[in-house]
Amino acid sequence: MLSNRLAATGTFFLALFIFAAVAAPVLTPYSPQGTVVSGPLAAPTWVKYIYGDRGLSQNVNFADITAASVGGTTLTSSVKGVDSIDVQVSATSGGNLLVQESLNYPYTGAPNRFTGGFTVVPSGPVTNQLTNATLLVDRLDSNGQLVKQFCCLSSQKVNASTSFSQTIDSYDQSIISSLGIQGVSTPAQFIFGTPARYNYVLQITVPAGFHGEFLVSGFKLQLLGNTWGLLGTDDSGQDIFTQFVYGSRLSLYVGLVATFIGIGLGLVIGLMAGYLGKLVDETLMRFTDMMLVIPALPLLIVLSFVLGPSLNTIVLILGFLGWMGFARLIRSQVLTLRERPFIESAKASGAGTAYILTKHIFPNIIALTYVNLALSVPAAIVGEAALSFLGLGDQNQITWGRMLDLAHSAGSTTGLTWWWIVPPGIGIAVLSLSFILIGYSLDELFNPRLRRRR
Amino acid sequence: MGLRTYLLKRTINTFILVCFVITLNFFIFQLLPGTSGIIANLIQNPKVHNPDLIQKYEVLYGICQSFVNGNCVPASTWDRFSKYFVNMLTFQFGNSYHTGNSITHDMISTGRLANTLLLLGVSTTVALLIGLLLGVLTAAKRGSAFDTGSVTASLVTFSLPTFWMGLLAIFIFAQTLRWFPGGGVSPNSWISGTPPILEQIAVRTQYLFLPAAVLTLYFYGGNLLLTRATVMMELNSDYITTARAKGLPERTVLFKHALKNASLPIVTNAALAFGGLLGGAIITETIFNWDGLGFWIFASISSKDIPVMQAMFYLIALCVIAANFMSDILYGVLDPRIRYE
Repeated sequence: MLSNRLAATGTFFLALFIFAAVAAPVLTPYSPQGTVVSGPLAAPTWVKYIYGDRGLSQNVNFADITAASVGGTTLTSSVKGVDSIDVQVSATSGGNLLVQESLNYPYTGAPNRFTGGFTVVPSGPVTNQLTNATLLVDRLDSNGQLVKQFCCLSSQKVNASTSFSQTIDSYDQSIISSLGIQGVSTPAQFIFGTPARYNYVLQITVPAGFHGEFLVSGFKLQLLGNTWGLLGTDDSGQDIFTQFVYGSRLSLYVGLVATFIGIGLGLVIGLMAGYLGKLVDETLMRFTDMMLVIPALPLLIVLSFVLGPSLNTIVLILGFLGWMGFARLIRSQVLTLRERPFIESAKASGAGTAYILTKHIFPNIIALTYVNLALSVPAAIVGEAALSFLGLGDQNQITWGRMLDLAHSAGSTTGLTWWWIVPPGIGIAVLSLSFILIGYSLDELFNPRLRRRR
Repeated sequence: MGLRTYLLKRTINTFILVCFVITLNFFIFQLLPGTSGIIANLIQNPKVHNPDLIQKYEVLYGICQSFVNGNCVPASTWDRFSKYFVNMLTFQFGNSYHTGNSITHDMISTGRLANTLLLLGVSTTVALLIGLLLGVLTAAKRGSAFDTGSVTASLVTFSLPTFWMGLLAIFIFAQTLRWFPGGGVSPNSWISGTPPILEQIAVRTQYLFLPAAVLTLYFYGGNLLLTRATVMMELNSDYITTARAKGLPERTVLFKHALKNASLPIVTNAALAFGGLLGGAIITETIFNWDGLGFWIFASISSKDIPVMQAMFYLIALCVIAANFMSDILYGVLDPRIRYE
């Protein structure tokens, strides 16, 4: 039967989303906001199966930290960990101390961005002297010979007896001016534009008579590629798959809670209107008509502007706007039930109003609840998404609607990026669709008027 | 009860609803505290500098009963409300904070009303026709692959959020394929002068196509499902079996007998849906930069243009009430049971 297949599909997808919502921290180790995982607007990694390998790059890190000395210095070093090395240097005449990591950059496409830095902490006696600390990158050929040196990513005069550190980002204006590529290229493209072997070097000048022992830690340079992960990144470099998975939590929360509020209200009002007689019925139905006349989306927009956008306010408003149809349905069903003989005999036996309502009427209308529940949830989900899309949703949460809003505003300058706009839309659509399918098949089951004539 | 009594009751009901909407509007926009208060917002609005304008608004909105030596004599809330009530009933909305023009001028002369009516008119007509036609056909072919396919397609497009369909349409058809422009009502080059009428129509259709297509896709599903359900119910009746037994062609059976009898809920639903359209068009207009009423209410939120928001909200609610009233009238006229009660 058609409705069986539809119900099965709907339940399957719903289960999938519930799983994603519950298991979100397991499915992805990142947080939806605030963690930069790769370059901005990085495409999903499987794009290479569509476009080929050309011009695509992934995240890579420099590794294998070593230390070397140039000029009249003696050096002992021991590697203390990843990106961490302890050096002991003393200079007879002047020279340079080089701490470096290397990388074989394999991609034809340049990275989008790089970030990195270092921290130097004296770990033993140090002569008190000013030195220079410079970060630079060497490009080598296949024989290990220097082809080009890119200087400088940072340059600072430091007091060697105190600790010093530096963080760099390829967005830094200082790097752009130092490389002299203003308006021509980005540092990431300029430096790492060809696949080759690269060295990332911290160069510390060692004047004559200098000696000291330092711990260099956090010495790394991370190249953020232009592809990443399952669904790519947004324009700040945050993982879209993470946002998608955490968004399912928010959508399910909004949809279910708003619907429960609406159903609860509708049940109470419908029961009272149907059972308690003429005056109550008339008043409540007038009130329902008035509420029905209010246009939902404009009211949502206006109220969120007036009351401030917060997820719970939106859920409450959606709930308070969604009970009317259900109240009418319940009322008509109660009106029919009220005249049935079994209610009459219950009254004759002395049953009170509350008893009749709970024991007799309520179980007979509960079937209507399921259908309405299933069909109201999508309305709430899409309503919240529409509000977030217009920019009036909760500014602290990344819901699917907000993802589309951010994609839309970022896209107005650079053009829309498909891996950003497709997943949240599909999420909303499939989640709504699964509820609608379940509701539709429940409707075919419970609604006698739709049964096929044999 | 008779038709006349029914219509009288409905008219009184409509008037009560209008009063309710005006009261609600007053409550939301005038009484709620904080920066949503009309004058507070006016003072904070960087575009409004002169105190004369502020005074003018204070009088218009009845906040100040009169001015003594340039100071405001505050009016009671009831005075404010009655003045507001009269203003709303007579469609005196005041001036926009943003442009300073009267709101009715901004609505009609800038072509916003016409744009929205064009978009909505085209979308609903097409959606209604498609929904009716396909609905009847799927009801006739119940259980077939065509039935399943149509129902699934309707459910899918119905659950897809309009703004997402709009974004996808822009991405595929405007950005990638470049078949249609990505937004706007007409090209920017037309500000200096509009080309001859035939070319105008052609270019305007190009701009209209994507937003209208998105709205139509969204609306046809509901129409189709409702038509299918009601026609299926009718096809279960005895008189259909009689008609078929008489040898009438299937087309006549479907359209002249089943659809005509099933049309009551379809027509009333269509009238109701039209009332909700204006609210729903806000999103489509925003995505496609379609300069209409929906886009205006959205823009007025970012510029905190309260008179516009207030007027638009009121108008949209009025449209819903008018559509409900239309639907009631149609129901009274089409359903013979009302007439002969």
